Amino acid sequence: MLGACITLLLVSFIAFTMVNLIPADPAEVALRVNDTTPSEEAIEEIRIKLGLDQPFLVRYTHWLSASLQGDFGTSFTNANRSVFGELARSFPYTLTLAGISLVLLIAVSIPLGVLSAVYKDHWLDKIVRTFIFASTAMPNFWLAFILIWFFSIKLYWLPSSGATSWSHYALPSITLCMAYIATYIRLIRNSMLDTMQDNYVSYARARGLSEYQVIWKHLLKNSLQTSMTALGIGVVRLIAGTVVIESIFAIPGLGRLALSAIFNRDYPVIQAYILVMGCLFVLSNLIIDILQTVIDPRLKSEGEYQ
Amino acid sequence: MTLMKLLTLATCFASALITSPATLANDSTLTFANYRDIRDLNPHLYGGEIFAQNLLFEGLIHLGENGKLEPWLATNWSVSEDGKLYTFTLREGVTFSDGSPFNAEVVKQNFDALLDNGNRHTWLESIRLMLEVEETGKQSVRVVDNHTIEVEFANSYYPFLVELGVTRPFRFLSPKCFKEGTTKDGTLCYVGTGSYQLSSNTVDQQASFEQYANYWGEKPQIEKIVAKVIPDNQARLLALRSGDVDMVYGLQLITARAFKQFETDPRFNTILSEPVSTRMLILNSKSDNLNDTRVRQALSHLTNKAVIAERILLGLEKPADTLLARNVPYADIELTPYQYNVETAEQLLNAAGWTLDGKVRKKDGKPFEITLSYDSDKVVERTIAQYLQSEWSKLGLTLNLVGEEEQAHRDRLKHGEFDLSFNISWGTPYDPQSFLGGMRKPVYGDYAAQQGIPEKAQLDQHILDALEATNEQERQAHYSYVLETLHNQAIYIPLTYEQNRAIFNKKLEGVGFNPSQFEIPLQRMSIK
Repeated sequence: MLGACITLLLVSFIAFTMVNLIPADPAEVALRVNDTTPSEEAIEEIRIKLGLDQPFLVRYTHWLSASLQGDFGTSFTNANRSVFGELARSFPYTLTLAGISLVLLIAVSIPLGVLSAVYKDHWLDKIVRTFIFASTAMPNFWLAFILIWFFSIKLYWLPSSGATSWSHYALPSITLCMAYIATYIRLIRNSMLDTMQDNYVSYARARGLSEYQVIWKHLLKNSLQTSMTALGIGVVRLIAGTVVIESIFAIPGLGRLALSAIFNRDYPVIQAYILVMGCLFVLSNLIIDILQTVIDPRLKSEGEYQ
Repeated sequence: MTLMKLLTLATCFASALITSPATLANDSTLTFANYRDIRDLNPHLYGGEIFAQNLLFEGLIHLGENGKLEPWLATNWSVSEDGKLYTFTLREGVTFSDGSPFNAEVVKQNFDALLDNGNRHTWLESIRLMLEVEETGKQSVRVVDNHTIEVEFANSYYPFLVELGVTRPFRFLSPKCFKEGTTKDGTLCYVGTGSYQLSSNTVDQQASFEQYANYWGEKPQIEKIVAKVIPDNQARLLALRSGDVDMVYGLQLITARAFKQFETDPRFNTILSEPVSTRMLILNSKSDNLNDTRVRQALSHLTNKAVIAERILLGLEKPADTLLARNVPYADIELTPYQYNVETAEQLLNAAGWTLDGKVRKKDGKPFEITLSYDSDKVVERTIAQYLQSEWSKLGLTLNLVGEEEQAHRDRLKHGEFDLSFNISWGTPYDPQSFLGGMRKPVYGDYAAQQGIPEKAQLDQHILDALEATNEQERQAHYSYVLETLHNQAIYIPLTYEQNRAIFNKKLEGVGFNPSQFEIPLQRMSIK
């Protein structure tokens, strides 16, 4: 727990420092992105308004203490919008997208991973491996356009952009999960193959359990444990990986918010985004650690003996 | 094979998710694609989408075709002999869409809100001249009676009437939307006198506008307008093809290649406007290798604009001979264009001391090397840069290319840390007054690039004089001096005149262009 807190503090400091290392003057950019002529008077006025005339460390402590209370300041590019409000507005879209992708990811990668392990070197395994290869090699923006072309333009089945109904999420979530699917199939396949060598598998077979029971009840459960950490991080990776996809499919989620904030040098939004992402990673690690000890009590006792 | 299997699999999931098939836009609704949210529509600032501000808010004067001044919320106006006092008669019977009446008090309140936030309007000489009057303790904007208002300036300033016609900032917001009597800290609502009102906005997704029933003027034909946010270029065009949107409008949103593709598609119409602005290169006269006028002239002669217009811009832009096209006000003057001519260029370079030494041109043993910086998001600029790099290398001139992200690029321009860069004029109706006016301040690349020419101080003075001149001939003389000096000094290499573009499906009618390329004349469109 203490480790997690230190990590988060470090993340917050890095987020703040990195963003402040960007050479452009945020006061000037704030004027420019609003199409206002950045004259000296206007820059000076806005610098004071945004608190940019304060020293670096003062700004950092102010920001950190406010952030801890959920106040990330207001967006530089639109004074009517609070950063917290912006995050709160975009998060549900990204969460929905990542959630559907995760379901797809699990639904596709577990069966395929298991099949290709069980039928190792069989034609089925080869097909799965070709698929892994192809999906890793294919850039996801390209896949996105192919899907739009096929399902929206040729077939008129699905909308090409927006997020106003569930059907809008179909194409983006397929695209998003494709980027990660290969990793998980391979992970499950390899850990299945490793576990297959274990004694308890031979013992289970010797006990006369059916092959179905051996694979789906014993092998899979034990193999999944190793994949669990990866899957936990995967959830956050899905959330963080939406930047390109949200832009193509015009989904107003976190990824797009971050992208436009970067282009507009919207410091408060960039900082808040990095901080939130950092928190998510640390938090998901923590949860996975706890879950693993619950599933496999051996981990806990090992820890105690050390 | 595997991909097909996966697609089939994906299809199963997809069809499970489908609630309804992608619906085509409703008949009385026009849906078009924009690349970003409408943002803050405060008409007194610049942070909102112009098309939306233009639907909601109206000004005193309307800019018609070719920039003709037409009555709008003012039915009549007059200018005093000395050019300092403007008197406007306001239209009667106009109401804001929240029911508040439009009258002289409201006009004054809106003008005063602008003066209250003067630092944001430094590009407008008019605001400065009004503030100067206010500083003497006198009011610059005065209510004469309920439907008459007068505006006084410290000096005469002719572009004021044109500035009243452009979308920002001289448009009228309902007094009920003001925050503590002003608008500089935001507004409570976005209500104007326009023919449409904002009915809903889902941030970053779509904004809807519906007709205002009590509009004072002629009612537009389309009942509802929806602006969908699609940030990606390709995705926007795909949405047009799939029927999700009816129209994509604007120079920034349509590449030449995309325009050409849709040109041959029978389901769509494509249209091009008259030239609206000039795409040019800007040469820094302070830069070590470009401080000699002859070198800059040589580079002008070495730039084949016809090839750039035809091959790179696919004929969608016309080659430019001068900094401003001759149809721009006050720019119809005789200047000898720098024709593409390699021999003349060589002579000029030799005369300037840059002689060929093997394959490289050198002066005092130092090779000729300059850097062209561009905004890396603008693919066209990169292509033009690469073409020039290969062309100029044939004469032993080394051109390095630096592509940067937009904000970094703009910083570089402002601080004069460049040899060559791309530049675009402000476009009609801001040309020539705002474009040339901007050269006087250390805000854009123009100011930095002109520092090395001996006449810089005179140039700035003539620009100011042109803005303040009360007599047409005098004003023309000042503009002629400025345009001629810049031309002779070869500070700019005009490349092409940009034309505005639109692609729309055939059910739309009446799609055209306003004088300003940033506006979309949605009010004039209709659906078959």
